[in-house]
Amino acid sequence: MSQTIIKDRIPENELLMGGHLACPGCGGALAMRLVLKELGPKTIVVLPACCWSIIAGPYPQSSLKVPLYHTAFETGAAVASGIRAALDIQGQHDTNVIVWAGDGGTFDIGLQALSGAAERNEDFIYCCYDNEAYMNTGIQRSSATPWGAWTTTTPSKHPQATDKKDILAIMAAHRIPYAATASVSYPVDLVDKVKKAMSIRGTRFLHILAPCPPGWKFEDERAIDMGRMAVQSRVFPLVEVEHGTDWRFTMDPEHVPVQDYIRAQGRFRHLTDEQIGHISDAVDYRYEHLRDLAERSQAKV
Amino acid sequence: MQKVIVGNHAVSWGVKLARTEVIPAYPITPQTQIVEELSEMCASGELPARFIKVESEHSAMASAVGASAAGARAFTATSSQGLALMHEMLHWAAAARHPIVMADVNRALGPGWNIWTDQTDSLSQRDTGWLQLYCENNQEVLDTTIIAFRLAEALDLPVMLVLDAFYLSHTSEPVDIPDQALVDSFLPKREAHYKLDINEPHAFNALVKPDDYMEMRWHMHDAQRRALELYPQIESEWLALTGRYYGMIEPYRTDDAETVLITTGTVTSTARYVIDERRSRGEKVGLVKIKMFRPFPVEAMRAALKGIPRIAVIDRNISPGNGGIFAQELRSALYGSDSDAAPQFNGYIVGLGGRNVTPDTINGIIDHVQSGETVDRPDIWVGVKA
Amino acid sequence: MSEQNFNTVPLHTPPLSVSSSSTEQNITGSWKYIQPAYHDRVAPCIAGCPTGVDIEGYMSLLRDGELSAAMELLQCENPMPAITGRVCNHPCESRCNRANYDGAVAIHAVERVLGDMILEEPLPHWTMRKHDERIAVIGSGPAGLACAYHLTRLGYNVEVFEKEEELGGMLRLGIPGYRLPREVLDSQIARYKAMGIIFHTGMRAGTDIGWPRLTTEFSAVFIASGAHVSRLLDLEGDCSRQSLRSGLDFLREVNAGGRPDIGKHALVIGGGNTAMDCARTALRLGAEVTVVYRRTRAEMPAIDEEIEDAAREGVKFEFLASPEKLSGTGGRLQLACTRMELGEPDAQGRRRPVPAGGEPLLLEADTIISAIGEDTGLHDLQAELADAKLAMNTWGCEKLARVFLGGDVAGDERTVASALGAGKRCAIYIDRQLRQQHGEDIPEERLEAIRIGGSESLSMARWTNSDPIMRVSPQNDVVQPADINTAYFPREPRHNDRHAALLKSFEESNTGITTRDALAEAARCYECGVCNECELCRIYCGEAAIQLDPGSGRFVIDLDHCKGCGVCTAECPRGALVMERLANMD
Repeated sequence: MSQTIIKDRIPENELLMGGHLACPGCGGALAMRLVLKELGPKTIVVLPACCWSIIAGPYPQSSLKVPLYHTAFETGAAVASGIRAALDIQGQHDTNVIVWAGDGGTFDIGLQALSGAAERNEDFIYCCYDNEAYMNTGIQRSSATPWGAWTTTTPSKHPQATDKKDILAIMAAHRIPYAATASVSYPVDLVDKVKKAMSIRGTRFLHILAPCPPGWKFEDERAIDMGRMAVQSRVFPLVEVEHGTDWRFTMDPEHVPVQDYIRAQGRFRHLTDEQIGHISDAVDYRYEHLRDLAERSQAKV
Repeated sequence: MQKVIVGNHAVSWGVKLARTEVIPAYPITPQTQIVEELSEMCASGELPARFIKVESEHSAMASAVGASAAGARAFTATSSQGLALMHEMLHWAAAARHPIVMADVNRALGPGWNIWTDQTDSLSQRDTGWLQLYCENNQEVLDTTIIAFRLAEALDLPVMLVLDAFYLSHTSEPVDIPDQALVDSFLPKREAHYKLDINEPHAFNALVKPDDYMEMRWHMHDAQRRALELYPQIESEWLALTGRYYGMIEPYRTDDAETVLITTGTVTSTARYVIDERRSRGEKVGLVKIKMFRPFPVEAMRAALKGIPRIAVIDRNISPGNGGIFAQELRSALYGSDSDAAPQFNGYIVGLGGRNVTPDTINGIIDHVQSGETVDRPDIWVGVKA
Repeated sequence: MSEQNFNTVPLHTPPLSVSSSSTEQNITGSWKYIQPAYHDRVAPCIAGCPTGVDIEGYMSLLRDGELSAAMELLQCENPMPAITGRVCNHPCESRCNRANYDGAVAIHAVERVLGDMILEEPLPHWTMRKHDERIAVIGSGPAGLACAYHLTRLGYNVEVFEKEEELGGMLRLGIPGYRLPREVLDSQIARYKAMGIIFHTGMRAGTDIGWPRLTTEFSAVFIASGAHVSRLLDLEGDCSRQSLRSGLDFLREVNAGGRPDIGKHALVIGGGNTAMDCARTALRLGAEVTVVYRRTRAEMPAIDEEIEDAAREGVKFEFLASPEKLSGTGGRLQLACTRMELGEPDAQGRRRPVPAGGEPLLLEADTIISAIGEDTGLHDLQAELADAKLAMNTWGCEKLARVFLGGDVAGDERTVASALGAGKRCAIYIDRQLRQQHGEDIPEERLEAIRIGGSESLSMARWTNSDPIMRVSPQNDVVQPADINTAYFPREPRHNDRHAALLKSFEESNTGITTRDALAEAARCYECGVCNECELCRIYCGEAAIQLDPGSGRFVIDLDHCKGCGVCTAECPRGALVMERLANMD
């Protein structure tokens, strides 16, 4: 998207305050800022354990201008269900409830509660900002860690041996009204998805890729570039799915080779060209699959 | 209004009369009837609450935490494994100061699987910061449910009301159901002292450094201790409205008693029968029922047991490696209170996993303690097969 | 004994972890060792423009729909955009940061569109103040016209002396009409007359008006007499024949309307623009034309498009051939050329041709046109001036106070763009000198401050404090391709000039681009180095540390909370932000 039109589409709301404790270049901090810009001040944030538990600031501080509830690692969706119920009883139907969870709290420990809430179609927006490992505890692998990646528990000699869990497909399989991927590197697409999510009731799920300079091992200033390459290389396609059946690509940017994305990050340094080729094949396979889904959805309309 | 209902439904009626707003729950035997009845009440509109059919007890407590954090009156119920699964969130609810009320139907923990009554599940949650109230009959269950909300919301602490599996949960008794207006006058709508409010945004539960953590735990402990004064006042109000009073502890025929049993839950009723029988034979026996386990009513127990020469604590629970939990607590409470005349103090382990505690069991215990055989251990196992 | 509190009531800590302040009190800005700063840097097109046109500036105004302001800015720096839009060798485009992405912005074509529109506009209000001084300009070529134009704008009374009967110098005599239609040149000159510039034609300085008169009647003299004397080809044989012609004379004759008979075959010797003009003109007179050049295509000094156009029109090329001997029988000329090869580079870095040995190349022709360069003929004017150009320092001629030289005569690069830049530069020197005579103190630093991108070019907008772009902190640092974030510029092919189907005509061959295409090209401009408030820096700041200052309308960086990640700078599409090392880290 041309730079000149981006600013008109990003709301003015500024609900994140400076002085928070994110690392320089943190994709997760930016993701929160952008999402809150669209959500606005009538929002309650549920925050299970993740990097943001630190970013939000220690007692007695907060880095958000909206109410924030820190909670245990696996409870994001359950706590949000309770808050939603309370607000509904109080007649506060127009207050947004969001869960802001990392990949560990979503793909791993929080998946049960998320699945439960999604199955009940609880009325909240679940945002997973995905930095692809347990970064807050010092870069341990999660089920969101991509194949081949180094982490402190998947050392270079035995890197991550399984593919990243397809959380979007899992959520789509719950037939929730809205699920989408998004990226801080495509801010208009991101806020548009938040806006669309806000127009729908029920469980809405946003999977936001959040590049992590210290965890992925790249220079701070390349955070946006990394997120952009993830999308351009189709490692992280930007899609949305309604009711688990209507799939669509929301962005189809200029294509870059998977190699460019992988080689830009120290966590993949040990990979051979052949191994990167395997990654590329897997990326192509999944992209084709998504395209099939999108085409089939299109044909239905 | 009088109704003959099981203990589980007494809980449900208490929850309904308390105008509970959010009920996240997950089924487990023998708690199921509580949530079935509540589900029915919500579905019929009789109880305008949100019933959240969560996928686990952990999420039940987490959802109750969320609802309470947003200012709602929240309730859930569980048992045994479910309570154990909630453990993390029990700490969370208490330290975040959420006045949630929960019914725990005492059930033994596996393995092997056992669905019958045993207090070890609730007593294992001793240090979570929850108040714990043990009930003896279905009327007490209903009354305690309502009183628990009053107490919890005054202190910003969660309260667990505890009832025996089957002996109460599934046993029908006539229960006086108070008028809604009466309950409303006793328990007004919750006014949260802290809540998630978009007009006054705060962050809750953020990282607390060593600088402040200890002070916050002081406050939690202090709120527990304040319950010792507050609870009798609240019950007195309930007494004025209903004519019913239970007390943190209830001494029964302890005047001039030389042997006193310490009981909880339904064992108390069995023991009352034995005491009455032995009193009719002129024996100087009595009992003290403990209703409130947390906070532990140390002063009340000291006063009640002052000068009693023989004390027999009946524990339907076990802390492996030490003994009965009520016995440990009581012994620690009495330490040094009457140094001139330390009583004979025996602790008896009975009825684990739902084994029947009969008048015969109680009589045996009284005989044993009166025989003067001092074991001086809180773990005299009663009725173990050879 | 240690002092400990026992059973103290904690009055000041709330019972639970609830916030009562914000993270803003954390000076997380202290984590950084580099920090971003907004710098308005120089776009390479501007730095590469010998005329010193604020190309990025007018492109940005065009993108914003400010057409009048764009035209105003263009003619503030360039007195004849309709002409340069046709004949300039546009080094701006070769330096354009978009060149290696999807093609340079078609600056040259946009300039022509704007230039033609300007010719249709009424004269703007030029003069900000009026001075009494009269200034003489010698020569009405691009340098002279530029200097006269700028001085008139600055409020001086300018008189131009031209030895020919018609105005325009090399624009009229040297550049064929199919490249620069006479109507365009005439319209442009008519505007200068309308501005109040007084032109004296048929007056050769040094003879028709003497040097003493020039220096006494005028407060300053600008000499821009050009390089109009064709260099002679040094050949064995009889070089006096009618059919061996000087390129400049040939062009002069045809450009004046003459249509000489040059036979069926013409050879043009040389590789510069004059050679290309001669070749294409000869072609239009009906001859088959071969260009003979000592080096190769790569070394040809002519504008690329001119070479391409010549080739497209059918001009043939003999490279690596050095003419040596002329002979002839029966009206046919024979030119013997030595075969050359490229040797070591010369002082300008062009590889020098050296004889390759072997048989000479024999070429036959009816006409041979020599276009190997021109000399100044400065000695016509005043003997002592011949050396004066050597005495030009940065800001004028020290040897002869109040005398300034510019354009081809001063040894500037022989392009229209350079001549225009020199005319402007000298106009500013003259303005400064005259104002200093009136007691104003204008230090050299002021001149340095208006220098563009470290080049020789000066900014008239900044000299007159009328820069509409209002750059915050103009730096001479030129934006490099690596400073551009191309993610924000979807590939979009450039709009190229269109060419008339009819070749070999004296009508204008290049029809340019449409106004719509020109606006589309302006939208392709990266706007290198100057913040255009696209706000990406602000949008991408994870610290919310970049905000718009309502007072100044500018972005301000909250350095207390900027952690120096550099995302803003990396994502700036146009290199208008730079990361600076913190002073205390050095």
